[in-house]
Amino acid sequence: MRDLTRRLFNPLGSEAIEREVEEELRFHLESLTEQYLQHADTFEEARASALRRFGDVEQVTDECVEISKRKRPFMRALKSFFILIFLAGIFVRIFGTELHVDRFGTMLITVAVMGRLFLYVRGLNPAGFRPKSDPSSSLILNSRAKTPASLFDADNL
Amino acid sequence: MQGTLELLILKTLSHESMHGYGIAQRIHQSVDDLLKIEDGSLYPALYRMEERGWIASEWGVSENNRRAKFYKLTRAGRKHLDAERANWDRISRAVTKVLQTA
Repeated sequence: MRDLTRRLFNPLGSEAIEREVEEELRFHLESLTEQYLQHADTFEEARASALRRFGDVEQVTDECVEISKRKRPFMRALKSFFILIFLAGIFVRIFGTELHVDRFGTMLITVAVMGRLFLYVRGLNPAGFRPKSDPSSSLILNSRAKTPASLFDADNL
Repeated sequence: MQGTLELLILKTLSHESMHGYGIAQRIHQSVDDLLKIEDGSLYPALYRMEERGWIASEWGVSENNRRAKFYKLTRAGRKHLDAERANWDRISRAVTKVLQTA
């Protein structure tokens, strides 16, 4: 319920973006797991190997969502608009009784709630794939490789 | 190394459009165990590169009939790849020269 409330009233809500990012990362993790399954004894072992190679899923998801949000100012504006409509509806309901415009307030609240619910349902993500793994550097020289790469100091990369 | 991952991604996408997993696989094969790259690190790089207009993405169907997001190089991306490649060659030659003489 708290999650629902947070999502409905978060002006920078990013359900659709999160869903897309998670779907993309899930495809990668599942493909990696399938790849490791060819050599692993169990599914858990393959999945653990996939997660090790992938890195911190949660951090990657958050980074991608943040970057995507910058690209979608319209959705952010639309969500903020619904919140404003909702607040305006409440205002009209409270102070518009004497002017007999409280029905208009109810209408505004309904439109705002329906609009926000529509955006929420559109961005629903029933299955998350965001387990944690050990964070580490994303691109480093492999010191165990038997190549001239050892000429370079990996700490400086 | 600043910009290295982006350069690897741009080069990988220079021949055909690919999904993130495919890009990771191709890079792992190409670097031949010389570099350890966390697959996850590709995605923020891909998203930033798309934001800069170097690559474009669209959802499609993968080789095993699953929905996947494919990336392709844009004209701006190809120009950036050429510039970065020239830059990399210059730096690489300079560093090699210093290492050989020092």
